Amino acid sequence: MPEAPLPAVTIAPPRIARPRPPVLVMCGLIWLALMLAMAVLGDLISPFPYTQMDLRNRLSPPVGFGGAWLHPLGTDELGRDVLSRLISSIRTSLVIAFGATVVGAVLGTTLGFLAAHFRGIVEQAVMALVDFSASIPFLILALAVLAFLGNSMGLFVLLLGLHAWERYARIARGLALSASAQGYAGAVRQLGASPWRVYGRHILPNIASTLIVSMTLAFPEVILLESGLSFLGLGVQPPDTSLGNMVGYGREYLTRAPWILLAPAVVIVLTTLSVSLIGDWLRDRLDPTLR
Amino acid sequence: MLRFFTFRLLRAAVTLTMVVTFAFLVLIASGDPADIIMGSDAPPEAIEAFRQAWGLDRPIWVQYLSYFSAVLSGDLGRSMRDGRDAIVLVTERIPATLALTLPALALKLVIGIPAGIYAALHRNSLADRMVMVLAVAGFTIPSFVLGLLLVLVFAVQLGWLPSGGQESWRHAILPVITLGIGGAAVLARFTRSAMLEVLGQPYIRTASAKGVAWRDVVSRHALPNAAIPTVTIIGFMVGSLLAGAVVVESVFSWPGVGRLLVTAVANRDLAVVQCILLLVAATMITANLVVDLLYGLLDPRLRGARSH
Amino acid sequence: MSALLEAQGLVRRYSMRSGLFGASVDLRAVDGVSLTLEPGRTLGLVGESGCGKSTTGRLVLGMERPDAGAVRVEGRPMPAPGSAEWRRLRARMQMVFQDPLGALDRRLTIGAQVAEPLEIHGLDTARVPALLAGVGLRPDQAARYPHELSGGQRQRAVIARALATDPALLVCDEPISALDVSIQAQVMNLLQDVQERLGLAMLFISHDLRAVRQVSHRVAVMYLGRIVEEGEPDAVFAAPAHPYTQALVSAIPRRGRAGGRIVLKGDPPNPAARPSGCAFHPRCAHAIARRRAEAPVLAPRATDGRAVACHLADTMLAEAA
Repeated sequence: MPEAPLPAVTIAPPRIARPRPPVLVMCGLIWLALMLAMAVLGDLISPFPYTQMDLRNRLSPPVGFGGAWLHPLGTDELGRDVLSRLISSIRTSLVIAFGATVVGAVLGTTLGFLAAHFRGIVEQAVMALVDFSASIPFLILALAVLAFLGNSMGLFVLLLGLHAWERYARIARGLALSASAQGYAGAVRQLGASPWRVYGRHILPNIASTLIVSMTLAFPEVILLESGLSFLGLGVQPPDTSLGNMVGYGREYLTRAPWILLAPAVVIVLTTLSVSLIGDWLRDRLDPTLR
Repeated sequence: MLRFFTFRLLRAAVTLTMVVTFAFLVLIASGDPADIIMGSDAPPEAIEAFRQAWGLDRPIWVQYLSYFSAVLSGDLGRSMRDGRDAIVLVTERIPATLALTLPALALKLVIGIPAGIYAALHRNSLADRMVMVLAVAGFTIPSFVLGLLLVLVFAVQLGWLPSGGQESWRHAILPVITLGIGGAAVLARFTRSAMLEVLGQPYIRTASAKGVAWRDVVSRHALPNAAIPTVTIIGFMVGSLLAGAVVVESVFSWPGVGRLLVTAVANRDLAVVQCILLLVAATMITANLVVDLLYGLLDPRLRGARSH
Repeated sequence: MSALLEAQGLVRRYSMRSGLFGASVDLRAVDGVSLTLEPGRTLGLVGESGCGKSTTGRLVLGMERPDAGAVRVEGRPMPAPGSAEWRRLRARMQMVFQDPLGALDRRLTIGAQVAEPLEIHGLDTARVPALLAGVGLRPDQAARYPHELSGGQRQRAVIARALATDPALLVCDEPISALDVSIQAQVMNLLQDVQERLGLAMLFISHDLRAVRQVSHRVAVMYLGRIVEEGEPDAVFAAPAHPYTQALVSAIPRRGRAGGRIVLKGDPPNPAARPSGCAFHPRCAHAIARRRAEAPVLAPRATDGRAVACHLADTMLAEAA
């Protein structure tokens, strides 16, 4: 039977002109880049070791409020350089938030895939856990675990990783089910592919953009949780320092030296604001189905 | 409707059981409270006596069952620090917490919902943008930062209001505002998107195309439908009336449940922590249950529907 | 000739529940289907949507386990879905889907997807260009993504992927119904060509009688989960024996038709509330009392041996003669 190659009509991939991100999002990106640079280059740009005391310059105000350029953001009650402590705190907070977000995404996605793959009792168990997570405010859960299990950096990151795991689990399960029922995943499975191949090579890349958007939306929440717990003195413990931890200790000097507290507070607000703006923008651009 | 109700009730019971089990598991995983409370240098006889007194020497499943039945009968143990019943310790703090969270909830509703509706009805207007920017800001400013800023301005600089404590109603103003603003932002954002979604539906366009006055379209068709998702978030806010003030109570030295929790965690007073955990979970689950039932009333489609 | 695939009395139920404590209603999507596929032959399976023909296709491929009955491939029982043996067997039996865009991974190129079954089964991926050429795709289209191809081209890619491991059986589930009418004939010709060239057995599932007639060596008509008639396509469509087939055939538009179209009475059947006796009786023009009480079995007709599940099969033939 003559089966001539079809005429060479090629359909060009749709090229949508990508508008530049709005000004606010651009500002967010710049701020975030600055924060990342501080976290990465911390030791190089930090004027002092963050624990070094300068007892002759205690509670010295920042430049512009009567302080000297030696300590641009002033010093705390022990004469420690606020800028250096801020840089160290940014690094700690970002590392914790990033680690926890990744832990949550990996855990949630894995459980979601397990639920979608095995169905039945496994799925029921995962969905019951999802219900359970949604039924208690996470801060209370975190406080309970910290009370019972004590505090260490590793545990703290894992604990914060439990935040929002159920969102990834819901997304991963739902999308995997729909891809398996009629779509590409069912087709690949029917080619004889192993579950590893179906989930790793096909489903995961297909839902990655949705997961990344969810991570971007969860990231500021994790920063807020970390700083909240550290503010209460139950998160990052001295001598390590984080943004919330700095605000917590600076609180005692609110009347005499508000800069100790204001510098990290501004960083927290601007960072969460930036990531939220970027996340909203990414969601609108990449995945309008998420809301 | 009855079936729907029974199913939700069953689900609430399962979730509550999971919370109790969770509390027990973490308790077991936390190691031996005898070492923690008595200190590792205590004499072995004293530790043994402590273990027997608290029933820590029995097999785990016995401990679980007795734990479970104790929780069911309302016996949540005694504070390991001062020996008082944990539940008494916690319940006597509840009024103080509600004194902050109830006015704050009212503030959230009064500001958040109208702002969200207004923003949705005037989409892309200057007011909408303002509401959205404020909403994002309200969400991203942590309550402890907001609270401390308010203290700095109104207590330290202006000296209008006290910075902490619980002596008079004036002491409650700053914490209530702190709690209310953040929640109002979340609620405004949520209401706006629920409204926008409803306004984009074909039945709204149909109603306005067939000549129904826009006022009536909004009040008869859009608002009731947008109320459905909004009820969920309000339910969550009601459910967290007890737990929602942990940070703010600490900022303003307000002697409520939240502050008790923070001190209990710092002191590892496990009975108190557990008691608060269970109480909060029970409130939350009850609130969710009520929301589900309201859903059933608001949304006729759900009345005979299945769970998933 | 020994059978490539044999299905005996397949039953597939789905339980539908109304509410948590509601009585669960059994929905028999497939209710006692037996069929045999011989190497190099095509069996057409027709019926309206919801009659269980797609479920039959999935049961035959072993993607679902039947609640009763068994499938045997080359004399051996079908292994459990997902087992290693089942996965190995995929190289021997493949599927062409209704919606080619849904069946392709939109993040991988056509070439990578056609190569995938070869990678999975440890075969040489150098065959990809030849496979593409075999279904009428150009070599440069291997680098394209699914959304860059037309519907017909995508279905060609799905067919190339299905053929990659040289299967002995191809199940085509409504392969042309999602395509433009102008493309349908091309894809039909391709399937027929492939079937003849490679000598594979094919189960061709469709609601399109003309398409089924074009490719099939035998045809089976399904109604509410059962096969009601089976025979040579020309004979079945020229002189349908079952009243349901008669109604289906009469609905084909054709030039200069003398007789009127048989319009079925009543609603389309609901598999959850299966009528007693012959499931077709509420819509049948010839319904006799016995049909309500007793379900007819698929049996060879006395005169020519065509399999028909109707109490009146022999009577009606006598009347027509």
